[in-house]
Amino acid sequence: MALHTYRIAREPYYCPAGDEIALFEAAHADRLPVMLKGPTGCGKTRFVEHMAWRLGRPLVTVACNEDLTASDLVGRYLLEAEGTVWQDGPLTLAVRHGAICYLDEIVEARADTTVVIHPLADDRRALPLDKRNELVTAHPDFQLVIAYNPGYQSVAKDLKESTKQRFAALEFGYPAAAVEAEIVAHEAGIEPEVARRVVAVAERSRNLRGRGLEEGASTRMLIHAGRLIARGVAPEAACRMAIVLPLTDDSDLRDALAAAVGACF
Amino acid sequence: MDGVDGLIALADVERRLRAYGTALWGVDPPLRPLVGEGDPAALRPCFDADLVRLPAVWPSLALYRAALAHVGAHRMFSRPLPAKGLKPLLTIVVSLVEDARVEHLAMRRLPGLRRLWAPFHRVEPSPSLMAADLLERLARALFDAGYRDGNAWVDKGQRLFFERPERWENPNFSLALGGDLAGDLGKTRVQINARGHRVDPAYRDDNGGLWLYDTPPEPPRDADDPLEAVRPEPMEGEGNRRNGPPQALPAPAPLAAAAETTALRPVARYPEWDHRIGLHRPGFVQVVECEPEHQPPMDVPADHRLAGRVRALIRHAVVARPERLRRQREGDALDLDACIAATAARRHGHAPDMRVYRRVRRRGRDLSVLLLLDASHSTKDPVGDGTVLDLERRSADLLAGALAAAGDRFALAAFRSDGREAVHWLPVKRFAEHYDAAARGRLAGLDGRWSTRMGAAIRHAGTTLAAQPTLRRLLLLVTDGEPSDIDCPDPRHLVEDARKAVRELAGRGIDVVCVALGGDARTHHRIFGRRNVLPVDRVERLPEILPTVYVRLTG
Ligand SMILES: Nc1ncnc2c1ncn2[C@@H]1O[C@H](COP(=O)(O)OP(=O)(O)O)[C@@H](O)[C@H]1O
Ligand SMILES: [Mg+2]
Repeated sequence: MALHTYRIAREPYYCPAGDEIALFEAAHADRLPVMLKGPTGCGKTRFVEHMAWRLGRPLVTVACNEDLTASDLVGRYLLEAEGTVWQDGPLTLAVRHGAICYLDEIVEARADTTVVIHPLADDRRALPLDKRNELVTAHPDFQLVIAYNPGYQSVAKDLKESTKQRFAALEFGYPAAAVEAEIVAHEAGIEPEVARRVVAVAERSRNLRGRGLEEGASTRMLIHAGRLIARGVAPEAACRMAIVLPLTDDSDLRDALAAAVGACF
Repeated sequence: MDGVDGLIALADVERRLRAYGTALWGVDPPLRPLVGEGDPAALRPCFDADLVRLPAVWPSLALYRAALAHVGAHRMFSRPLPAKGLKPLLTIVVSLVEDARVEHLAMRRLPGLRRLWAPFHRVEPSPSLMAADLLERLARALFDAGYRDGNAWVDKGQRLFFERPERWENPNFSLALGGDLAGDLGKTRVQINARGHRVDPAYRDDNGGLWLYDTPPEPPRDADDPLEAVRPEPMEGEGNRRNGPPQALPAPAPLAAAAETTALRPVARYPEWDHRIGLHRPGFVQVVECEPEHQPPMDVPADHRLAGRVRALIRHAVVARPERLRRQREGDALDLDACIAATAARRHGHAPDMRVYRRVRRRGRDLSVLLLLDASHSTKDPVGDGTVLDLERRSADLLAGALAAAGDRFALAAFRSDGREAVHWLPVKRFAEHYDAAARGRLAGLDGRWSTRMGAAIRHAGTTLAAQPTLRRLLLLVTDGEPSDIDCPDPRHLVEDARKAVRELAGRGIDVVCVALGGDARTHHRIFGRRNVLPVDRVERLPEILPTVYVRLTG
């Protein structure tokens, strides 16, 4: 089985925030392409991993960046002793053999790369391989999922309308405080009470969103802080290192945030 | 930062403080300086539903923080009570219990606040029976369960306060316990000067925000505070003043005056959207171009460091973005895909394409930006030691200088309106022109007049941008207010028209982003869409913020 290594053996830990699991299952049943919208580090990737495991599908993940070419996605000819052989790219692999293909941070990819997914995301459900002169019809189990952070305010980094319109969307935000504390405690291995304090720090930083900070602390940052605490770092120092300093270079805000961190412990 | 006599100034730490208060409580009430006679250390903060007043100078940043955290706790957990018919002593003791109650509720959420407040509770047990001493000791006893006073009244208060902490949730708790304690105090011979009473410790407010008085209890202590005039609730006619001249004033004289130095030239007519009928009114608005009066260009920005930083920032964004080119005839590295394709072609007996190199090139940016400044009357409002328009000009000059140095395509213009037949378009620098002394002179010559017919200005900007050959086109609009015009009594009309204009531009592939220096956020969200509005919290910081915004939008 071609996608053997892409199967997820153990249940990825995922704490639902609402009915996203049921909604995704419904979308998957119809193989609708799904867009996960939300700020970075709020659990989109983890959610897809969990869903792939839950639905028993292999998961092919591609982290997009501005150097990613269409060939990197669909595949290319390689040289061998006897001649050239075609090698499927990750997207083609998923299309042919029926995996969930997850394109993370899709806006980072160049526009010409993004368009190769268009025929997969509408009724055609097919992927043309121009170099090979082949049209790969999607396996019945194939599903396309992309992650998109609408928070970027760059006109250069927005999805084209024609891309957006092909997807159903699920919105992700930071989980409610109690849920987020549970996640942090679980992922970082710290006491629930300490995790709650770390989440209180996150709330402080999120209060500054749009009032100086572009984005508040992500769940991922909280887990980093939690891990430092688990290693014996004092909570305030851990939050400073994992949250305050990475978030901003503005000295006024840093000072204010550091003082607010002090109020949390 | 430490000033004379170990005092620090609110103005120097205001931004930090506001961010701190916002981080703690999620709300950002305006801070106003409080000026008083005598020792600043004796001043106490005060607050009401709209404002927080803090002493203009005070002993330390920690004190400012403690005060803001305390006021925040009130704003979060206190509900003002009617003061009518209550004895001054009662209100004092109830307020004191209320202070402790809200602080404990706040510390449940944010336990570290204890370390912030504790150092100010320094009073020690003493035999003094002076009311001020007893009250300060009670304040400490209610803050710190471990404090032992020894005075029967203080101890009783402490015992009753900590007996059942679950009662803290109930706002009436302070009234009940405070009433009880005030009754006890009234029965003793303790003398209290309620009028001259000063709350201690110093970070706590004067309690004014906790009570609803029929008439103000005493004249505002900062009657000479010039900012007092800036009330949060709009005064008669103020709503208009922000966005244009009051309609009652005699018609703005001045077409003639303006025409002295500038020629008015009709350049275009645009439709206006009527949201009530859902139709455009064709050719409804006329845009006239008028060359801004030349003035000697502003001095080279006084703040060299800022200018340097801005230039570096823009340069970095514009120039330092490498682009990988594939399939090049020459280059510094092999393009693997191309090599493979060439080899494959050769093996198949075809002629190989020998463009097999990769090269890194500085990316030429496929982008045109039009910076459009609001030059309506309201931009004459004072900020710092100038006006809003001064700041717009300074910021635009800084940004334009840096863009010109870095080579991005940009144009600079301003707009204002005097009724639908005269939407003024003031070109400062067109796309094809250089940002030279003449352009800087035109920028310096901009002045603030009349109103803000935004839709027409946006459409005209769209026409200008649509003629640019680049892939991306961005209109960056800096405004301090909302659409309005003298011939337009329905405020919604121009808002809806502006919204429509933004959409028309979007339809032509032109992005519109608003840098908002004030005005109603909801209106801006309605016009531009939430994510295309960038509010600037302090207008004074525009020169720093505008370039950052530019880089973020175009990076
Ligand atoms: N709902 C959740 N359940 C479990 N873990 C979560 C959840 N949300 C966030 N996480 C944790 O946060 C980390 C970052 O989330 P991730 O899925 O990588 O974010 P995103 O893909 O949105 O950038 C994950 O590794 C995981 O530890
Ligand atoms: Mg108080």
